[in-house]
Amino acid sequence: MKRIPPGEWGTRNDKCTGRFIIFLLMCIMGASYSFADDSLTVSGQINLRGVDARFDDSVKEDPSLTGRLKLDAVVSAWQFHSWLEGGWDGTVRRPVQDSSLFKRYDEVYQSNSPFLEFKELYLAHSSSNLDLRMGIQRFAWGRLDEYPPNDLLNPWDYTRFLAKSLEDRKIGLPSLSATLSKSAWTYDAVWVPFPVPYRFPLPNERWFGATAASALSQADTVEITPREPDLPSRTIGNGNIGLRARHAGDIEWAINLYHGYDPRPVFKTTRFVISRKTGKTMIDPGYVPDFHKITSIGLDGAAVKGAWSLRAEAAYIINRYFNIREELWGYPLFPLSGSYPLNSIEIKSDSLNYGIGTDYRLFEDGLLTLQVQQTLILNRPETLYERKVETIFWANLKVGLMNQKVETNISFAYNPEHGDNMAKANAWYVFTDAWKAGISGITFTGPSQSIFGRYARNDELGAELVYSW
Amino acid sequence: MRTVDREGAKNARRTGGFWANALRIPSCPLRLSGAMIAAFSGTLYLLLYILYPASPVHAFSGREVYENVHEVRSRSLDRKAEATMVLFDKGGGKRSRTLTQYSKKADPEAYKGLVVFKSPPDLKNVGFLIHARTFSERQLWAYFPEYKRVRRIATSSQDDSFFGSDFSYDDFGGPPNLDDYKFSIDKEEVLDGKPCYVIEVTPKIHRKYTKYIAWVAKDLWIHLKIDYYQDKEIYRSGVFRDVRIIDGIPTPFKTDMENRKTKHRTELTIESIKYHTQFSDDLFSQRSLESAGK
Repeated sequence: MKRIPPGEWGTRNDKCTGRFIIFLLMCIMGASYSFADDSLTVSGQINLRGVDARFDDSVKEDPSLTGRLKLDAVVSAWQFHSWLEGGWDGTVRRPVQDSSLFKRYDEVYQSNSPFLEFKELYLAHSSSNLDLRMGIQRFAWGRLDEYPPNDLLNPWDYTRFLAKSLEDRKIGLPSLSATLSKSAWTYDAVWVPFPVPYRFPLPNERWFGATAASALSQADTVEITPREPDLPSRTIGNGNIGLRARHAGDIEWAINLYHGYDPRPVFKTTRFVISRKTGKTMIDPGYVPDFHKITSIGLDGAAVKGAWSLRAEAAYIINRYFNIREELWGYPLFPLSGSYPLNSIEIKSDSLNYGIGTDYRLFEDGLLTLQVQQTLILNRPETLYERKVETIFWANLKVGLMNQKVETNISFAYNPEHGDNMAKANAWYVFTDAWKAGISGITFTGPSQSIFGRYARNDELGAELVYSW
Repeated sequence: MRTVDREGAKNARRTGGFWANALRIPSCPLRLSGAMIAAFSGTLYLLLYILYPASPVHAFSGREVYENVHEVRSRSLDRKAEATMVLFDKGGGKRSRTLTQYSKKADPEAYKGLVVFKSPPDLKNVGFLIHARTFSERQLWAYFPEYKRVRRIATSSQDDSFFGSDFSYDDFGGPPNLDDYKFSIDKEEVLDGKPCYVIEVTPKIHRKYTKYIAWVAKDLWIHLKIDYYQDKEIYRSGVFRDVRIIDGIPTPFKTDMENRKTKHRTELTIESIKYHTQFSDDLFSQRSLESAGK
């Protein structure tokens, strides 16, 4: 398990990449075109959150105090944007793993509190029809609200997975992007110079979910320590690219191409190891995240028909890897101290992901959003937990009351193939422009390997207080 | 002020001062003194009043008044405005929003508009884009930075509350298609010292309101007051104040819109406005919407 030392960009290819970025920056700075008003704005938010776990046997969460600071400076055609987040994360249960305060781009398990993270940090240059951006960016491709099949650039942070919105889950990526607009067409190109892994909570944290590892033991004397994976080397060849061409019109549509590492988690096995140390049972669960390149070709579109705002998208994904059912991973029935080999658990198949969604205004300030999406696994073996076709229905009702002084949001998701579901609700009361408070609830049911069922012990109620300026 | 004078002259030609003006035209062989003209006009008015006491005579039809309103609103489309909206709830609570509105006349389309919020923090850089292919056919988009996605909005939302205020999305659009409405003059009335036509406007298309009564200033061709009805009840009422002439265009700098049912009220104040802006089409693109008009 070779680990890339933190902060080191020692290889020849890394240096080439660095020089290339500097060269590009110089090219960008060489151009100049002015149309914007100069400005500097700073805004921020402080968020205090408490969670009450509904099951006594589920992992608890401490209160969190987090903040965000956004800074935008516009000078002529240049823009600098920074979005820094940080604070004390109540989901973290273990002492600090390492001394890094900032979230890193080379680790999957990053349970540190306090922490700091640049969600976005970039320099942009806009000319009459070309936007160039360099730095930490998040992208939103595709049209659907949840799991957009074409939204593959940013990996996700799973540390509060389904309790967070899609955009909050996204990890900002060091990247270069260009957007060229020409009459009804817009072309986007994104280059991510090195792969950035998704992030997972540790097994003793609330959003780890039911997995083969967590099923082994819930006792306090057992410590499960997953290992960091070998990340793909940081070479130009290992970068990710995305290309998108959008067309505006009565029906808006886009064609998307992504070639790079799959942001969807998949694991490979190593060895399952049980050892005893100072009265504790130490477990290496024997699997680590694995990273594979995929190629995705997709289409998306949106149109308005009467009172319905419609959208759809599809992506054909080549060389996606899936994990087989967990009971086939090869864990010993009666684990004792020792090292156990595990079975190969990955299979490769092309898949087709597609879905449609719609917004319908039920009444003033009452918006119903419906979405159905499916994944078709083309070469599905019997060993896979996922069926040949997996479906998720989503429904969301957003209602504003008292001129949006009260905002409520109710969501429901259902996976008919496994009978698992998730229901989420929250309500916010806006006291003033600066202060608002909210309550939320989330509940899951379903089998332990299903998408929602794996969080069946995560039912919770929450309360939040937010101060913004 | 030149435009007001011109409008006033136009008005005068069509209404009370018509005869006096007609008799002054250089080609007219008859030359009368001012006193004689005034006496003649007065006598004519008196005769008309005696002959038709029960049926008010208006120089314009309701439709003609609105053609003038439409003309003024169309002239005001090329603009950039900075505005503050203060939302007052029944209990005395107060919330503010600041926004920038850009719009332009679009040829061969009707107009394009972009509204971008600057505050509060929750709404910062939230944007709303409108492309009106004709005055009745519009495409709407909204952008929420939180989701990083531009969303198409069905036009059925046009009468909905504009981001929690008592204004509607439609209030931030351009002038309507006059063929979609019926107009009739109820009466003439002086409002805050300004003579107005009071006009009943009934939509032929489905709207949230069944009709509205508008007080249109005679010399400026802008609304000074508007009451929206749902059947017989007023549900929303707007008052337009602090009218100033900017670049020849009459502009109410303060607008109060009240929801009579909820007693919620919104005060819109224009902080600055510039007309004849001639923005490029790029400003009204989805790209611009995503970057808050920058």
